[in-house]
Amino acid sequence: MQKQQSGRLPDILKTFFKFGCFTFGGGWSIVAQIQKEYVEKKHWITDEQLLDYTSMARSIPGLMIGNTSILFGYQAAGVPGALAALLGITLPPFVIMIGVTFIYSVFRDNPLVASAMTGVRAAVVPIIISALLKLFKSGMKDGWCYLIALSAMALCLFSGLSNVLIVLLGAAAGLLITEVKARHDLS
Amino acid sequence: MIYLELFISFALIGFTSFGGMSMIPLINDQMISHRWMTMQEVADIVAIAEMTPGPLGLNCATFAGHRTAGVLGALSATAGVLLPSVTVALLAAAFLARFRESRILGRALYGIRPVAIGMIAAIIVQQSMSNYVVAGSVSPATVVIGAVSLVLLVRFKWSVPGTIAVAAAMGLLLCR
Repeated sequence: MQKQQSGRLPDILKTFFKFGCFTFGGGWSIVAQIQKEYVEKKHWITDEQLLDYTSMARSIPGLMIGNTSILFGYQAAGVPGALAALLGITLPPFVIMIGVTFIYSVFRDNPLVASAMTGVRAAVVPIIISALLKLFKSGMKDGWCYLIALSAMALCLFSGLSNVLIVLLGAAAGLLITEVKARHDLS
Repeated sequence: MIYLELFISFALIGFTSFGGMSMIPLINDQMISHRWMTMQEVADIVAIAEMTPGPLGLNCATFAGHRTAGVLGALSATAGVLLPSVTVALLAAAFLARFRESRILGRALYGIRPVAIGMIAAIIVQQSMSNYVVAGSVSPATVVIGAVSLVLLVRFKWSVPGTIAVAAAMGLLLCR
């Protein structure tokens, strides 16, 4: 078993490197790629396991893709497998972004690039708005959620509190409200 | 030391965000409060990260780290943002069954998801004041580009890179 598992490391590293080169459009594209490669072709895991990993990866802090890679890699080949998957998936974007940042730093003061970037910046708020619209459905479960969201927005805009602290307050509110609800349901 | 500061800053971002756009307010907050970047540069990060392969958070960490302190800075920021994966996710993988039964994270998320939504709404306000206002007055050209982009994205379901390309072309024409 152990021998077989360590034999999987080059495969994991190579395949996740390939995933890393083509992960446009957020976490779901890599889930689709894992499904094709490791559920349908190689039968390392089942559809149920993959679904389990992705829903778990979303409830763990940090990058959903990083978490999914760790959960899959550990299942496939233990801790080395987890690290191989994470390394494979992060290496391509890292190298590409180093190049992109370099190009950005060199060209951003060029007048043509500067006016194109002014246009691009104007599209950033719409991009964030469209992401917000998608988040709304899964995040807003009841009236409490609206209260929390409005408070968070107000704290961001009008208090000097750091966002990290505001998230921690939200976590505390979540624990408190679900506790109160659970007791209310019992009585 | 700048590398340690970047690592800690992005570890904080990683531990308090749950993927995708929910990272942007936290990144914006950390970059501005450390004076590592301007609001404009954060907008540039978002656009550039959306156009290159890889998860948004990872691209932002690499970009911000590199802008602030070169390749080593990029490495420190990336390691920081991946810290939750190599700690929490690895523990979760090792104790899969017990982790699944624990409800704590799910209950905390009940409060965290709306907070992320509120923070994103706030950053929409903050970024608007930076992207649509030039030298103290509203710039009509950028408002037009913003409106066109919004319609393309929401009404016509255009992809983000496609929309960014159109916005760049309009910028070349209108923002001289």
